[in-house]
Amino acid sequence: MNARVEEAPAPLDVARLRADFPLLARRVHDKPLIYFDNANTSQKPLAVIQAVDRFYRETNANVSRAVHTLGEEATSAYEATRDKLARFINAPSREEIVFTSGTTQAINLVAYSYLLPRLQPGDEILVTTMEHHANIVPWQLLGDRAGAKIKVAPITESGELMVDRFIDLLTPSVKLAAVVHVSNVLGTINPVAELARAARKRGIPLLVDGSQALPHMPVDVRAIGCDFYTLTGHKMFGPTGTGALWARKEILRDMPPFFGGGEMIREVRFDGTTYADPPHRFEAGTPNIAGFVGLGAAIDYIEGIGRERIVAWERELLAYATAALESVPGLRIFGTAKNKAAVISFLIEGVHAHDLATLLDHEGIAVRSGHHCAHPLMQFFGVPATARASLAFYNTRDEVDRFVAAIGRVRKLLG
Amino acid sequence: MTTPGLYTQAVLDHYRAPRNFGALAAHTHAADGVNPLCGDTLRMELRCEDGCVVEMRFSGEACAIAKATASMLSELAVDRSAGELAALEQVFISLVGGQIFSHDQLGGLNAMRELANHPVRQKCALLPFATLRAALAGVTSATTEGSK
Repeated sequence: MNARVEEAPAPLDVARLRADFPLLARRVHDKPLIYFDNANTSQKPLAVIQAVDRFYRETNANVSRAVHTLGEEATSAYEATRDKLARFINAPSREEIVFTSGTTQAINLVAYSYLLPRLQPGDEILVTTMEHHANIVPWQLLGDRAGAKIKVAPITESGELMVDRFIDLLTPSVKLAAVVHVSNVLGTINPVAELARAARKRGIPLLVDGSQALPHMPVDVRAIGCDFYTLTGHKMFGPTGTGALWARKEILRDMPPFFGGGEMIREVRFDGTTYADPPHRFEAGTPNIAGFVGLGAAIDYIEGIGRERIVAWERELLAYATAALESVPGLRIFGTAKNKAAVISFLIEGVHAHDLATLLDHEGIAVRSGHHCAHPLMQFFGVPATARASLAFYNTRDEVDRFVAAIGRVRKLLG
Repeated sequence: MTTPGLYTQAVLDHYRAPRNFGALAAHTHAADGVNPLCGDTLRMELRCEDGCVVEMRFSGEACAIAKATASMLSELAVDRSAGELAALEQVFISLVGGQIFSHDQLGGLNAMRELANHPVRQKCALLPFATLRAALAGVTSATTEGSK
């Protein structure tokens, strides 16, 4: 064996990996399914489906309460995912992982528990043009309550954040900056470590929305150096209704509870209740236990493949798909950042995104059409909607070929 | 390409060569409609006499389904009163909702029955009707998402 083979990750055996995903064998409108809507939600490997199934068949009990065997097994399976997730994003401590229903809840938790008590009239919150509504609307709601304003860092025509402008906008009135790690519309990978350094220098906390990053690349919250990192389980091959907030221990320690209920208390008295330490302080009520067990299986599954290998394959696939789409006359791609994930938003002259998506669906091809929960980004590009093909490691060149051929037929029909 | 039943030859024809597309200088009624789900916009301008539509024209940026519906509607609306068109809209809603299979008065719009299988696209076809209804009621704007 030579040294080179040991260094370079072995390429993915995509055909074999596809067999791990039962849904990918489905036919839609009597055609083999081509699933290009991964930024919306990813498909689930058998390992995840079986973990959820096994939990309900063999272990189901509530967590952190029951002293019986099932209760202890359920708690340890649920808490094991916290360890896995902490390791997966290189968090310094498992206590820094707060389970949520997804990124939206995680951002709202930061908004109401961390930021709201600190917000004064005239304060500002910095976001970017390419944010998902989940990273805009919670801040607007806070702004309305506290008399604070939203400031927006601009992007270029190619869909890259204007980093200098972002940094210039980190003024003393900014009480929190929030930025997406990987854009769900453009695929742009933002230089979050650089943004975090600039924010830290000015004493401004930075929240990074990592929903679209986790399924595609290694994420190291220590290396990024941000203060908050949010993620969504169902986009990273786990069950829906799972997600997490990562924040440093000292930040979480000072945050008051957001939801009240069981699970998050130390002692309840009518003359004063005391609260559990983080992360349980923020996990009121019975959580999505089976879902988090499934998320643990998803993390194991991704680690089994290796994220570097996923990055390498998706980079190849993105280049292949981009070149193929660029050869389609009248097709415009939105988001051509140098550093981008395998997400391609596009429009074809004379073809409405919804018509395209409906006609592709009849060819068995699932793409998203619409505003992708990013109205301000659509306004920036001056279009009401785009079509979006978002790929995952289980997609193939052959699928891209069939996709591009189908687009050609749609053009002929409608163009 | 095997086209879904939705994109019939008639629908494609009305999309490619929409009837009554453009502005109507001498209009008595007009409204701008929007489908906030996709950002599509449609403007309708009408000339009414004695309570009936005499002429209708439409313009705007919209998908094939919305445009074809508007085009077909621009022909169906002529000689009908606001009340008759409101009744026609109800029939059309039943069609796209899958409650009825066809209705004589809908003519080419019967092709939209396929929308029963495309719930997300139903609003596309309802936008022209909502805009027409607003124009006839003297309301200058319409939306497919509740009242505006």
